[in-house]
Amino acid sequence: MPVGADLILHEEPDPEVSRNSGAALGRVIERTARRWNSPLAIPLMDLRLEKIDLLARIGISARDAEKHHFTTPIDESELTALCSELPAPFCTGSTARDEALTYIASIPDLFPIGMAIGPFSLATRLMADPIAATAQAGKGIGPDDSADVAVLSQCLRAAESAVLRSLRSQIAHGARAIMICEPAACTAFLSPRQLRTGSDIFERFVMQPHLRLKAALDAARCDLIFHDCGELIDPMVEAFAHRLHPVILSLGSSRKLWLDARLVPPDVVLYGNLPTKSFYSDSAMPVEEVVRRTVELLANMKACAHPHILGSECDVLNVPNARTTILNKIDAMMSCAPAA
Amino acid sequence: MAQWTDLYDAILNGDAKKAHASTQAALAAGVAPMELIQHSMVPAMDEVGRLFEAEEYFVPELLLSARAMKSSLDLLKPLLSASGQKMSTRVVIGTVKGDLHDIGKNIVASMLEGGGFEVIDLGTDVSPESFVAAVKDRSPQVVCMSALLTVTMPSMKTTIDALNAAGVRAQVKVLVGGAPVTMQYAKEIGADGYSENANGAVGLVKNLLAGAAA
Repeated sequence: MPVGADLILHEEPDPEVSRNSGAALGRVIERTARRWNSPLAIPLMDLRLEKIDLLARIGISARDAEKHHFTTPIDESELTALCSELPAPFCTGSTARDEALTYIASIPDLFPIGMAIGPFSLATRLMADPIAATAQAGKGIGPDDSADVAVLSQCLRAAESAVLRSLRSQIAHGARAIMICEPAACTAFLSPRQLRTGSDIFERFVMQPHLRLKAALDAARCDLIFHDCGELIDPMVEAFAHRLHPVILSLGSSRKLWLDARLVPPDVVLYGNLPTKSFYSDSAMPVEEVVRRTVELLANMKACAHPHILGSECDVLNVPNARTTILNKIDAMMSCAPAA
Repeated sequence: MAQWTDLYDAILNGDAKKAHASTQAALAAGVAPMELIQHSMVPAMDEVGRLFEAEEYFVPELLLSARAMKSSLDLLKPLLSASGQKMSTRVVIGTVKGDLHDIGKNIVASMLEGGGFEVIDLGTDVSPESFVAAVKDRSPQVVCMSALLTVTMPSMKTTIDALNAAGVRAQVKVLVGGAPVTMQYAKEIGADGYSENANGAVGLVKNLLAGAAA
């Protein structure tokens, strides 16, 4: 099944209204699961919500949140407000997400799944130039020697708080698993060259926050579904699979899942990973190529005998002028799957 | 003219502070700005590009080297301007309307600046009208458009259509890039070029301009 709620959302008379209404969004997620015959109710992958909720704590409106970047070290009182555990109202989208979870949780044959951005990815969205800051940290430059590194460290702290608040709210509303999306934990941000020479940035900026979040999920008996569609190196995949031990590991189309199966414990289900970002184009990704890749993936996963769910490399967005071609390719992909 | 090794190494290693200091030292020693650019800085960035293609360098190294190059150029530009010399090419860059992602765009902008181009960054969520206005007002030779989402890619075509409608399309080379963009898509919408990464974008701009000048 694809991560396809956005496609179904756009069957609504007014998708934006439905996006922000818990009842309507819940029905969209239910229809998404039914459409692709899955008990897994995967919601919209709206990775803007935690940033909006976080910045609201310091008075930044939802409208301005997307473009807001911290460019200088955050004032201590502001940082305290960002990291505070005190409850604060969520934005309309987050409220709808939570209400939709409650709706799904009331349906006996569906498994309610939450969604959140990962702390490192959120931190990168809080900065104008996160790659340079991460690269400086990777060279061993500390917060005292670089304002960029200082801001990154602060943003990461604030981001982890925001993600934890989001997880707790979704669990309280019925989530039994949460898909945490960490696409920035990839080689575009974390240099393999630096990692090879002993840099601890992957451990410090990615793994440590995720291990703390995983402990919180475990304590709440909520499963982790880990998604990272960025370009990865093998040690990253191994760390996600073995140390975070998600129930499902969802990877981008740059990975060959049947090779990754060697890096992943047998009880971690691999999800994915058809190149759905290219489905809009018949020249870049004709339907015959979709079928060929799906057949190849399924055959190889069967041969390696690793548990696998056929799916998309990321969420499949609705492209107005290419909706039909995208849906045709999703159908072509799913038609290759053996009947349940 | 011998290469100014400290400056070359500083750029290669992505050390902006050392690049700045080496440039100051070179200028104090009487080295001409254009000679520094041609014999130390451009070769260093060429080597950075080669290492990237060889997968020895990655995006973070590219970005740090581009930053180091820029820290040197910031010292040299006023001197070049005062002596009547100018930077080679002006590039307008932006993320298209509806798309707020800026990391890829920023990397390309940094690399182009590091490559010695004058870069006018229009930011994110840039309307076709704003691209057209920038072409009219700033007379760039190149327009670069970025999109991260499949849903915002059509804004690239809308922008090219707007450049055509305004009668300024022929004045500029149009490059497109971003995660979902492909060479085929670039051709379909009438762009002049596509690059799948920032390093390639610099080479592409150089090649397109060389072709236009030929």
